[in-house]
Amino acid sequence: MKVAMIGWEYPPFKAGGLGTHCYGLTRSLADENVKVDFYMPKTKHSAGNSGKKNLVIKEVGETEIFPYDRPEDKELAGQFFESVYRYNDLVVEKVKGNYDLIHCHDWLTMKAGVALKEKLGIPLILSVHSTEYDRSGWICPNDWFINIEREGMEKADRIIAVSHFTKSVIVDKYGINPDKISVVYNAVYPIGEGEKQEIVLFLGRLTIQKGAEFFLRAAKKVLEYEPDSRFVVAGTGDMLPRLINQAVDMGISSKVIFTGLLTEEEVRHIYRISNVYVMPSVSEPFGITALEAVSAGTPTIASKTAGFSEAFQNCLRVDFWDTDEMANKIISLLRYDPLHKTLATEGKRELDLFTWDRVAEKTIDVYNRVM
Amino acid sequence: MTSICMYFEVHQPMRLNRFSVFNIGNNAGTSNYFNNKLNHEIFEKVAKKCYLPTNNLLLNLINEFDGKFRISFSLTGTFVEYCERFMPSVIDSFKKLFATGAVDMIEETYFHSLSGLYDDLDEFEEQIMMHRQMIKRLFNYEPKVFRNTEAIYDNRIAKKIGEMGYKGIITEGTEKILGWRSPNYLYRPINSDIKVLLRNYSLSDDIGFRFSSRHWPGFPLTADKYARWMSRCEGDLINLFIDYETFGEHQWTETGIFDFLGHLPNEALKHEQLDFVTVSEAVDRYQPVGEIDVPWAISWADADRDVSTWLGNDMQFACFNELKDIGKKLKKRGDEELLNVWRRLQTSDHLYYVSTKGLEDGDVHAYFSHYDGPYDGFINYMNVLQDLKQKIS
Repeated sequence: MKVAMIGWEYPPFKAGGLGTHCYGLTRSLADENVKVDFYMPKTKHSAGNSGKKNLVIKEVGETEIFPYDRPEDKELAGQFFESVYRYNDLVVEKVKGNYDLIHCHDWLTMKAGVALKEKLGIPLILSVHSTEYDRSGWICPNDWFINIEREGMEKADRIIAVSHFTKSVIVDKYGINPDKISVVYNAVYPIGEGEKQEIVLFLGRLTIQKGAEFFLRAAKKVLEYEPDSRFVVAGTGDMLPRLINQAVDMGISSKVIFTGLLTEEEVRHIYRISNVYVMPSVSEPFGITALEAVSAGTPTIASKTAGFSEAFQNCLRVDFWDTDEMANKIISLLRYDPLHKTLATEGKRELDLFTWDRVAEKTIDVYNRVM
Repeated sequence: MTSICMYFEVHQPMRLNRFSVFNIGNNAGTSNYFNNKLNHEIFEKVAKKCYLPTNNLLLNLINEFDGKFRISFSLTGTFVEYCERFMPSVIDSFKKLFATGAVDMIEETYFHSLSGLYDDLDEFEEQIMMHRQMIKRLFNYEPKVFRNTEAIYDNRIAKKIGEMGYKGIITEGTEKILGWRSPNYLYRPINSDIKVLLRNYSLSDDIGFRFSSRHWPGFPLTADKYARWMSRCEGDLINLFIDYETFGEHQWTETGIFDFLGHLPNEALKHEQLDFVTVSEAVDRYQPVGEIDVPWAISWADADRDVSTWLGNDMQFACFNELKDIGKKLKKRGDEELLNVWRRLQTSDHLYYVSTKGLEDGDVHAYFSHYDGPYDGFINYMNVLQDLKQKIS
């Protein structure tokens, strides 16, 4: 079997779960003897050689866009849309060879995927890692993205959703037949445990989608009862200035550290030393970071609307807006060692179910259904 | 002759309110520990689906077979309190059943607690005495046979129950203690003269768990088929010990469970070698055939048949130890009201909700819990225990 996979980012340089997923998936597919040509934009950080016989990384064109970008005004939007079209055209031109199917990921490559399906006359598989509704936090989603997504979903032969939560969005909001959608949960390469400190961690893009403001509100409440605890907000994004102001206004700025963008190694380190991980996303199709935290022995409190909380049993769940309950659970984890220990141990055990090999197996099942 | 000994466990726990760390130490009294609304709702639901219709059916069967159909019950103290508070008609229907003379009552700890596993057994004994007084008050009767919470049993418990004057004690007929031997006889503990009744878990679970399972080769289970299986059993006794909620609640009416029960006496009595006995009659009529030695506690729960359902992870041990510590302090103080609250918190269900066994399979534990998983169960229960602890320090 030979697959032309079209992605947007590939580690070590990546901005989100899509890149992590493509990396894990392609490597495990290659091990399962599926030949994969992975097409992605050329950036200044080259992805280089995959080190696997069946996996070739093909960098095409050059572009400055990221899948999580949101143009703020009309003029920028024009340039943004323009470069997206340019990149898609380029990919259609560059994909050549004898492939059994095309597999693309999220909206950025959907136009290319649809065009290639027509040009080569082979099936199209579409993985949905997030929708416009998620990225906008369900506030004023942009039709331009939605239309691209809908067209891709309609034209795809099968869709892979990262959770049942996302599947239901695809069905309800995009009107897609549920029988065409398979759910395949994400996975993680375990990070390993470190020396824990009294740190409560948020890690993610600082956008409306990820709900860092709720994390800060819970922090304020926790600090009234556990004044020695510390909070880390790791990552960057358009909300950063507002969040810093929020922390100052609440009078907790001396207890909250904003790290800015971290390197891969720094990310692993912060997971290892943190005592509690909180993922208060407003909308989260899956949330690989939660699996990463668990793999570092860090118990996780996740938003009930995250795909992760539907898939993973050994975690704590909260409504993202219920900051009192979030604080209750943070404090409980700080106070009750047996809770912390059981979640850490049982969580690591459950991770055995979340391997990339398993993701690849399930993805191959989907491939086989269209061939 | 092989005697069928049917016994039904009737219990409802006092479920807790949502209680966050912010509620600890607010001096709000203990009345907000328990979720009266939820408890009331569940009790009424189960009463309508199970207690009332099943009691009614059993009463008709006893009358129809002129006392040849005989059964036994164990009612917990918390269950009886619910009856008296919310629906006295339920307790009246049990009184009617008892008045037929074909129904026996079994002793247990009033609070359906794990006090049989405490370091010393004084609290265990007190809770049994409370239950004894309750049964005396309701039925003017003193039970002869004891069954501990979830059939938890070890040598120490057997010895204590023997010393308290009971003639029989109930536990699980697991291979762990029997080896090759059959559960269809009475046995004797190595350290007491009491008789041990052993649950025939295979036949009991055919009704309790497998009845409506379409993948089970025995499906559909009919009364005549089941009676035929029993007629082929060797031994003195077939002990069918079942959660009462099996009828109408775990197995819905639509599964045909009531039809099954309704036909069972007739089908069983068609076989000359079968009859029905109560637990007291069983221990009067038959003699032990061997000894059992149980140094580590067993129970009828889960596939493990041990106490890991309640004491299987660090969270459960932490709560259990906290509970024991609070008890020691409380007994010195002698505050009756707090003592009563502490006892309600001992009901084993609170620890059951904290079990992480089979979590990934989302099995039976989730079905019985009102929490979003064991971790929420722990946080809530532990917060309540911390509040109670502050009240006595």
